[in-house]
Amino acid sequence: MSRPELTGHASSFYNEKEARKYDSSSRMIGVQREITERAIELLRIPEGKPGFILDVGCGSGLSGKVLEEQGHIWVGCDVSRDMLDVANERIERKREGVINAARKKQNDDLDEEKMQDDDSDDDEDEEPCASTGDLLHHDMGSGLPFRPATFDGCISISALQWLCYSNAKGQIPKKRLTRFFSSLYQVLRRGARAVLQFYPETAEQAILISECAAKVGFAGGVVVDYPNSTKAKKHYLVLTFERAFKAPEGLSEGSLFGSGKRESVRVDRKANNKKGKVHKKKWGKTKDWIVNKKDVQRKKGKDVRPDSKYTGRKRGDRF
Amino acid sequence: MRLLTHNYLQSNVKGTEKGYPLTIEPTKIEYEESPIDMEFVENILTKIDYSALLSARNQIEDRCHSDLGSDFIVPSLPEVMPKRYSDGNSKDDKIEEDETNQEAFLKSIHTILFDIHVLEGHLVCPDTGRRFNIKMGIPNMILHEDEI
Repeated sequence: MSRPELTGHASSFYNEKEARKYDSSSRMIGVQREITERAIELLRIPEGKPGFILDVGCGSGLSGKVLEEQGHIWVGCDVSRDMLDVANERIERKREGVINAARKKQNDDLDEEKMQDDDSDDDEDEEPCASTGDLLHHDMGSGLPFRPATFDGCISISALQWLCYSNAKGQIPKKRLTRFFSSLYQVLRRGARAVLQFYPETAEQAILISECAAKVGFAGGVVVDYPNSTKAKKHYLVLTFERAFKAPEGLSEGSLFGSGKRESVRVDRKANNKKGKVHKKKWGKTKDWIVNKKDVQRKKGKDVRPDSKYTGRKRGDRF
Repeated sequence: MRLLTHNYLQSNVKGTEKGYPLTIEPTKIEYEESPIDMEFVENILTKIDYSALLSARNQIEDRCHSDLGSDFIVPSLPEVMPKRYSDGNSKDDKIEEDETNQEAFLKSIHTILFDIHVLEGHLVCPDTGRRFNIKMGIPNMILHEDEI
């Protein structure tokens, strides 16, 4: 199956038909729910404390539903209007459920004496509660339209990788990623975290994403769950403001007790700091290595230039 | 769109000095009651911009009267937030908040922040006048190429 990101803009891939398909697939719902629960776990919000959470790329509201169940208030944004419409319907259904339940309760109170047997009574054991989410039609690559220090946390489920593909003239992935991350840095409260689950196509993409996040000032790392399974493997970019961040262990098969293989890339600004200007050649390309290699070639009988003071010397910039 | 979300929305269009708070021009409003979590409301009071909330409340009041019927009254809010919430933890001896007053205040805040939904209308940037439209309760904040 080819990646959706390669077929075009997110709003054109997730059109009305695709949006409905996405929202009604039980497999998709199950997978997204699991990922969301794991992301919320990594957010490390104190138990029982409702927070104001941003859901980037909320789509049809599958992740928002999980946030609600855990008692949080959330704002979701997505670039696909069709997906948002499906999410809206879900909220509308809930709203109607609440209004109907309220009406029913009113009627039940009035009919106390009559004691009618109602079929639907058995189904509604739990009272449907109103949705605590709000939706925004917005493109994350252009920043986030909120004032500073708004959110207690941010999650993103399977959305970040869309920033790595340019779908319009003038869209540069690195620019969009940097804009998104610097905006995210501002709208999160100090002490808040962001957990962004994404599907990198290549290792370079994962590195590009991590680097853009580090450049704007975030500390953090990538947590990889089930690194050995192509199907189950999940990448979570965990971003914090704490400098001394230690990436939690990723999950792996059969390791409930944390003895599984841990794979996480620690991303730190210091790694990119080249103020020292010490031009150390990359591993393997020092003069000694070159001379050695030439010897080996000579022994093989190949035609090799003689060694001189110019061997392995730094050349000027190519034009 | 709830007024809680509106309290945080800002226009980040290029060249905008201060795109906050956005003026609400509602054309359709709905009311949906929701359970109150007093602790959460108290918590959030310390973090919202109260003056922006006041002006937002005034901007939607007229629409509420026409859309929600005359028996629905938008709770009124004091000009200044009770000291207890604006000052964090400090307690003023002179001002003794009545228990019932406090509860009533929190309930009004809850109704205004959570229960009133702007379904259609516009959000207008106070600086540049840029209009963001709201359709089916979802504000469209997509920026054009030259606004990023």
